[in-house]
Amino acid sequence: MTHISEDLLTSYAVGTAGAINLWSVEAHLTGCASCRSAVSAHVDADRLARNRSVLLVRAAIGDGGPVRRLLRRCGVPDHLLGVLAATPSLRASWLLSVLAVVAVVAVEAAAVSYGWIGQPAPHASPEALAPFLLVAPLLVLGGVAAAFLPVFDPANRLAVAAPFSGFTLLLVRTVCALAVALIPVTGIAFVLPGPGWLPFGLLLPSLALSAFALAAATVMDPRAAAVLAGLAWMVPASLLALAHVPLSIVQPDAQFACAAVLFACVVVLFARHSRFEMGLMK
Amino acid sequence: MSVTVSTEAVRVDGLSRRYGAVRALDAIDLTLERGITGLLGPNGAGKTTLLSVLATVSEPDAGRVSVFGLDPGDAAERVEIRRRLGYLPQELGYHRHFTVAAFLDYVAILKEITDRRRRAEEVAMVLTVTGLEDRARSRIRTLSGGMRQRLGIAQALLGAPDLLILDEPTAGLDPEQRLRFRELLSELPGDPAIVLSTHQADDIAAICPRVIVLLNGQVRFAGTPAGLAGTAAGQVWAADERDNGAHLSWRGGDGRWRHIGEQPPAGAELVSPTVEDGYLLVSHAAGTR
Repeated sequence: MTHISEDLLTSYAVGTAGAINLWSVEAHLTGCASCRSAVSAHVDADRLARNRSVLLVRAAIGDGGPVRRLLRRCGVPDHLLGVLAATPSLRASWLLSVLAVVAVVAVEAAAVSYGWIGQPAPHASPEALAPFLLVAPLLVLGGVAAAFLPVFDPANRLAVAAPFSGFTLLLVRTVCALAVALIPVTGIAFVLPGPGWLPFGLLLPSLALSAFALAAATVMDPRAAAVLAGLAWMVPASLLALAHVPLSIVQPDAQFACAAVLFACVVVLFARHSRFEMGLMK
Repeated sequence: MSVTVSTEAVRVDGLSRRYGAVRALDAIDLTLERGITGLLGPNGAGKTTLLSVLATVSEPDAGRVSVFGLDPGDAAERVEIRRRLGYLPQELGYHRHFTVAAFLDYVAILKEITDRRRRAEEVAMVLTVTGLEDRARSRIRTLSGGMRQRLGIAQALLGAPDLLILDEPTAGLDPEQRLRFRELLSELPGDPAIVLSTHQADDIAAICPRVIVLLNGQVRFAGTPAGLAGTAAGQVWAADERDNGAHLSWRGGDGRWRHIGEQPPAGAELVSPTVEDGYLLVSHAAGTR
C-alpha cells in the first residue's frame, strides 16, 4: 500500500492542503491505521483541545429551540434573540400564568353572558366583560414590567456595566413582551360574547399603559412607575364597571385619550432614553 | 529624547458618594495602575461603592473619575470604558435556569460579541481558565457557591478586558480555589489593570503589588503590601500572656498572644509585622477597631 507523504500529512494536519488533496488524504486515512497514527504526530494538540472546547460549548449553548430557530430564519439577529433568553415574561411559566388568568376571566364572562351561572341573560351583557376589561391590559403591562424592571433581572448589574445599549435592550424585550402578551389577550377577546371590535379596542389601552410605565420610569422609581400605570387603568375601569358601563373604557373617547397618552409617552421615552443606560433597565 | 509611557489606568479626584445620611465615599483621591491593586477594608468602608463607580454602574455625587483617560460621565466615553471592562459585582445574581455556557453566552452578547463562533471561543476560553469546562452544560442552580463564584470570575474575563474590577472575588472559594484564583490573576495576558476588594490580607500579600486601605469612605493607606506591613514595624509583639495595654491582642494558632502596641508587654519579643498587622494598626488609628 502506498502511504501519504510526510509533506502532505503535514499540510493536511495544519489545514493548508487543497480541497482535492484533502479528499484524497481523508479517503486514505479511513483505511490506513498507519497513516492515522502518523498524522496525529503533526497535529497541534493545543489547537485540537481548543476546537474541542469550542464544540462542547456550542453544544452546551444549543440553538435555543424551535422558536429561536424560526426567528433566526426570519432574519432576526441571533444576538438579539440571545438577550431575550433572560426576559422573565418570555418564559413558559410566565406565559402559562397569563393564559391561566385570561382563561379564568374569559370563562367568567362567558358563563355570566350565556347564563351558565346566575340568571339566564336574554342578551349578552356588557357588564359580564368588566373583569376581563379590567385585567386584560394589566396582563400586558405586567409582561412589559417584568421585561424592564431590574428586580426581575438577577444579572442586572452585569448588563449595566456592559457596552450593549440599555435602550436597545429595553426596546427588544418590551416589543417581544408586548407581542407575547397581546396575542392571548386579544385572541380570547375574539371568542368572548361582546362587540366585534373588542379585541382591537384593547390594543391602544395596552400599548398606552406600557408606554406610560416606561416613560414614568425615566423620572421615578421603575416599580412605582409600573404601579402608577396599573392604577391609571384600574381606577377608571373599576369606576365605569361600578357605573354599569364597563365598555366605556375601550370606546372612542377612551381610545383617543389612550392614543394621546401613547404618543406623549413615546416622545418622553425617546427624549429621555439615556436614562436607560445608567442602571434603570440595564 | 525620552518618552514616558504612563501605566495609569484610573484616576479619581475628590470622589464622593452619599446614600442618604451615610457618606460612603468622602472626597477620595487615588490612582490605579496596570497590574493588580488590592482594596482592603472592613464591611461598610466604601469598597463596593468605589468599585461600582469605577465600573460605571453608579454615578458619584461629586468628584472626577477618569478610566484610561475616558470620562464615564460622557455617554459615548462611558460605552468605550464598558467595552474595556470586566466586572464582578459583590452580589452577582444569576438566571438560575441558564446553563453555565448559556449564561456566559448571554454575558458575551452584552459585551457586544455578536459573532456566534467568536462567542463560543471566548466562552470556551474562560471556562478553561476558571476550571469550569466540565460544567458547561450544568444548570447554574446545581452549582456550589464556589463554582458560582468561579462562574462570576469567568464572565468578568470575557472579552479580555483592560480593566478588571473584582468585588470580593475570593468570597466562597476554598483554600485550593483561592490559590488557583491567585495563579489565574497573575497569569492573565495583556497586563490588564486589576482592582480587587477583599477582607483577606493574605490575598493582598500574595498577589497585589499595590494595596489601598479604605476606611469610613476615606483612603487611609496607599502603597505596597510591604509598606503596609511596615507601618506596624516595631509595634508587633509575641507573648505568652495577654497585655491589656496593647491596642490589639489576639491569640495565634501557636497558642501565643500577638499584640500590637508601642510598648512591649512583659516578657514579649518583637516580631516581624505582616500585612494584616499593618492593616489592623491603620484601622485602629482610624478609629474603626
